[in-house]
Amino acid sequence: MWRFLARPLLAIPCAFGLLTAPARADIVYVLNSGEASISVIDARERVELRRMPVLREVHHAVLTPDGSTLVIGDSGGNELIFLDPATGEIRRRERVSNPYHLEYSPDGQYLVVASLRRDQIDIYDAGTLQLAARFRQSDKPSHVAFSPDSRMVYVTLQGTGEVAAVDLTKRETVWTVPVGPEPAGIIWHRGRLLIGLMGSDGFVSLNPQTREVTPAFQTARGAHTLFPSPDGRYLYATARVESGVWQVDANTLEVVRRFDIAGGPDCIAFDPDGRLWMTLRWLGRVAILNPADGSMDTIRVGRSPHGIFVMPRREGMRADFAAIMPGSVSGSRPLPSPLAARSGEPAAGHPPPIVAGAPTLAPGPVVTPARFFRRSPARLEDAN
Amino acid sequence: MWDWLSDKYDLLATWIFETAIQPVLYQFGLMDWAEDAFTWLDFFLFGLVQVAVVYAVCRPLEAWRPVERGQDRRAIRTDVAYTLLTRLGVLPLLGFILFFAADTWLSGALADSGWIPPTLEEFFPILRDIPWLAMLVYIVVLDFFEYWRHRFQHTFRWWWALHSIHHAQKHMTFWTDDRNHVLDDVLQAAWLGAIAVLIGVPPGQFPVILTVLRVAETLSHANTRIHFGWLGERLVVSPRFHRLHHGVLGAGATGKNYAVLLPVWDWIFGTANFERNRFPETGDPEAPQAYVSGGWLRQQWEGFRQVARALVGRGETGALPPGPHQGALPPGPPAGP
Repeated sequence: MWRFLARPLLAIPCAFGLLTAPARADIVYVLNSGEASISVIDARERVELRRMPVLREVHHAVLTPDGSTLVIGDSGGNELIFLDPATGEIRRRERVSNPYHLEYSPDGQYLVVASLRRDQIDIYDAGTLQLAARFRQSDKPSHVAFSPDSRMVYVTLQGTGEVAAVDLTKRETVWTVPVGPEPAGIIWHRGRLLIGLMGSDGFVSLNPQTREVTPAFQTARGAHTLFPSPDGRYLYATARVESGVWQVDANTLEVVRRFDIAGGPDCIAFDPDGRLWMTLRWLGRVAILNPADGSMDTIRVGRSPHGIFVMPRREGMRADFAAIMPGSVSGSRPLPSPLAARSGEPAAGHPPPIVAGAPTLAPGPVVTPARFFRRSPARLEDAN
Repeated sequence: MWDWLSDKYDLLATWIFETAIQPVLYQFGLMDWAEDAFTWLDFFLFGLVQVAVVYAVCRPLEAWRPVERGQDRRAIRTDVAYTLLTRLGVLPLLGFILFFAADTWLSGALADSGWIPPTLEEFFPILRDIPWLAMLVYIVVLDFFEYWRHRFQHTFRWWWALHSIHHAQKHMTFWTDDRNHVLDDVLQAAWLGAIAVLIGVPPGQFPVILTVLRVAETLSHANTRIHFGWLGERLVVSPRFHRLHHGVLGAGATGKNYAVLLPVWDWIFGTANFERNRFPETGDPEAPQAYVSGGWLRQQWEGFRQVARALVGRGETGALPPGPHQGALPPGPPAGP
């Protein structure tokens, strides 16, 4: 009941344009692709503070290379929204053709935009947003990931079951290889590309040197995308037909645990405590999963929530807090090595603990079903 | 209350999607259409709600003050089939599948040209921050374009050959709203698509806009002796206002009262008739018999035949300017109190 009371009360100051969450509470931004809005959530109270209207259809968000600005792609509205993640203030908007998935190169020189509906990949100069090159792709370019040296960008092509490699130096598509049915999410991980196959029950590994494709790990039908945890220990992979999240050992690529989560989990963001904030696409909710004990909470947001971003508001912690942590060498924008700790930040390689007193996880597949209703501690069961 | 309803709706939609639709998509290698299928499910469920709402509103009104009693149930059943096919997303889904590739090609071509389609909010920035106002403006703009689409349906011989199916119903009820040839539906989709390119159509608001327009359209077809008074008749299209359009006066290019939601367009463009006591019989006396008494399939087939004939100049559905009924209002049943 207190949440129902808290929501309107918290909304009052926000109505005056001030994003005044309780002191030091992290802020979470959720992109509601089905109703042209961005939900702003108080991460501590777990209430939605407000919904910011956008033009048409927001899908993904990335931080600028300096970590100061959240860039949100409104694909239907043909614009990029540049937002101050600390205050929620929109700094500016830029007209850009159909930005569906987007990512900056690790060296911060380029912004690459995938246009799912227009079969094209656009390369922009990150500073000026001048279009540097446009590559027509065969069918439904979906997600992009860079190599750590910023030379290559890899694109999943959902319609043809391929991955295309674009050389940013030569400004050309240098190769395309079949990887399996309906590839979606893609990340760089320790010299390889890991790709989720929506038309399959697992992820594949693509060696960009030899272009050899091998099975990486198995999840369940409708494998979708994956995200490295900031501490670098795990990868978290989602699947949609058998809806859930899989915790995968980042070293061995063995599945450690499975969390059954209904509602179509899609994008994942991590808060500084190691909790997973994920959008439940079909259910119109955001789930907060604590992987240490399997407990889960959900918050109602808008229709078809897709991209998500957690803005920490803690002493000495920046929006790109994960950039100094070991997991930053994997992902769609993999750094060659974690950034050095900046003033006031904890040293690289010594991230905050995931959860104080969290039990050490034993390796091996363990199923952890978690329902999608509020505060439902999950049961631990054997996978088989 | 709204949150509670939204929650229940989302739970239902998720359950249907995850248990019935997504596994089928996976089985047939169509998972890259999952998001589109979810949108379609929304359309389907929204359609069910629309049908339920308009039935709950219109049926009691028709029972309370009918214009005609003892209507032909078989003719009405055909209209029910049209409504279910349209509102439950079967025909829109077909259109989506047929036009997806064309839409992608057009979007790509537009992007290549360097032209980025604008939005109304770009011209009127205040609309960015007030979504309900933006929605109202979009309703007015879309209604304006719908007025002109409707006029063109009555102006061009080949288009009238299609639209005459809608006017051929002699027993008009609220079910008659969706009685359209599939080609006519395709033209409407293309029309709205062109508007979307010109000013954009916000996807989040589109179902609401569609519902407002649809409920108004459906109510305006109801077999009920209702008008909204001197002022109301000029603000919102009433069953009286639209029945007059469906009288023989409406056939061909000599028609009146084309508006879908806002009669102001008829007022501005000189096609309004605000006689509140007129509740004429409906139908198009020159329509082919298949249009009048045929089932869905027969009407569709005849529609293709008629439009082909119209295009080569041999059309039968020809109540075009100057039409045989130009000017004179046929006597209707006695006006209500």
